[in-house]
Amino acid sequence: MRLLSLTCQRFRNLSEVTLAPSPHTTVAVGENGQGKTNLLEALYFLATLKPLRAGRLSELVQFGAVSAKVTGRFLLSGAEREIAVEVVPGGRTALVDGKRAASLESYFGGVSVVAFTPDDLAVVKGGPDGRRAFLDRSVFNRFPAYLEESREYARALKSRNRLLKDNAPVSHLQAWDATLARVGARLWARRRQVVGEVAPRARDAFARIGRTEEGATFSYAPSHLPHVDFAASDEAQLQQALGLALDVRLRRDLERGFTSVGPHADDLELALGQHAARQYASQGQARALVLAWKVAEIENLEASNGFLPLLLLDDVSSELDPERNAFLMGYLAERGAQTFLTTTDAHLVQRAVGPDTVWYRVSGGQVSRREA
Amino acid sequence: MTPDALNRLVAQLAKLPGIGEKTAQRLAFHVLRSPPDFAKGLAAALTEVVDKVRLCPRCFSLHDGPADTRCGFCTDARRDDKVLCVVENISDQLALERTKEFKGRYHVLHGVLSPLEGVGPDQLRIRELLLRLEDSPIEELIVATNPDVEGEATALYLTKLLKPLGLRVTRLAQGIPMGGDLEYADQATLARALSARREL
Repeated sequence: MRLLSLTCQRFRNLSEVTLAPSPHTTVAVGENGQGKTNLLEALYFLATLKPLRAGRLSELVQFGAVSAKVTGRFLLSGAEREIAVEVVPGGRTALVDGKRAASLESYFGGVSVVAFTPDDLAVVKGGPDGRRAFLDRSVFNRFPAYLEESREYARALKSRNRLLKDNAPVSHLQAWDATLARVGARLWARRRQVVGEVAPRARDAFARIGRTEEGATFSYAPSHLPHVDFAASDEAQLQQALGLALDVRLRRDLERGFTSVGPHADDLELALGQHAARQYASQGQARALVLAWKVAEIENLEASNGFLPLLLLDDVSSELDPERNAFLMGYLAERGAQTFLTTTDAHLVQRAVGPDTVWYRVSGGQVSRREA
Repeated sequence: MTPDALNRLVAQLAKLPGIGEKTAQRLAFHVLRSPPDFAKGLAAALTEVVDKVRLCPRCFSLHDGPADTRCGFCTDARRDDKVLCVVENISDQLALERTKEFKGRYHVLHGVLSPLEGVGPDQLRIRELLLRLEDSPIEELIVATNPDVEGEATALYLTKLLKPLGLRVTRLAQGIPMGGDLEYADQATLARALSARREL
């Protein structure tokens, strides 16, 4: 997979931008607030249909404009394809070669992207919701169908929570449990598989960059699901277990006004040796854990897809210490994946630069080629 | 300056679903250019539809007979009284009817359970369905709500409500469309079709 060109129209502060990226490293240099990250966000949105930072799709549209569009020409298994996504009032439209994509799978066929942003570095010390979102981005990269599945789950969950708050009759409440249990079990199985694939690689990567005696562990298991062997249960058993747990916890859920069990209540657990990383890890170790996970994810996607994902790194170098930054930049140069970096300081990314690196300068929403 | 009468027509037309300001204007000009009989016919049809068409008091489908009478679906003696098909709305009923396969009676819920939009059992024609079951010889109830989150929840709600009455409650099968290609089926559909496979 290779991105041949990228066009953004009315996307955030980028009025009209066309890039011809390098097959390897492309660097966007600029001061903060000029639009570097918007460039990466456009690419991330194109590849995942999810915004990287914005809460609402409408925030992606340039102030005063009605719609925004991102178009990418990709080389996918030897064929040139154009995929595009347009944000319009009330939603988004995905296009493949100028035609509306019949399904998300036809749209995603073959494009995958791993993003690494300063926000990611905060997940170790942050709350479980941040780690769930972090994990979910990895799951989604591995299984595009996860997008629809997690939406279906969220809709059923929201409906049930509304009824809990309104103290609705139990008969009405329980009508949502079957969907929650079915889709929830699917989300569990997907997350379990991705953690199973990525965790061993992440442990190895951490051993290389952690500068820490203790090994790192990345694990995932549903909360509030006693008496269930999560690792050994198939999806049907998980569905049954979740259905049961919803029943058992119904009284408590009614008192509290929200659903207390399911994939939305879990945590990706990170540990150093015997200690929870959230309390125990230093700032440097916490960042190394995230870095190790991202490296593992890249390797895992290469193993499952047969090609390297597109890598997006948003000003990560300034957040890492020099040694870990050197590792990351060296790693990128060695993998040879198509990579987009943003930075305020060109020196920070020097080790990832090669003879075919393409440089852009971003200033006030204008993007122009520059020499190294 | 466009005449007020024209502006009013455009504004009314633009309220229709799927019609924007521009299309509304084009439609209005079309009406204006056509022979006057066209506009008169259209106006009469519009008035007639709201005056004459009402919901059948039995199944809540459309009916244009006198008030207090039942619709064609409910009175047709050739239809089977023992099977009742529950649908979300009238267009779903018409889709089923086009198959010419179903010969039972219908019941239109006029919506599905949707807490996020404030629709609970009381907003649907569920009480009327229960009343109806008391005085008719129904043996099987087919729940034909859509296979989305709300449709599934509604189906489940009805099942829990009606199974204890000793009825046979069934759900439309879900899976690969006829003439469809496995290759093009989305994963969710394929997974459902796989789990609902049947013996040959």
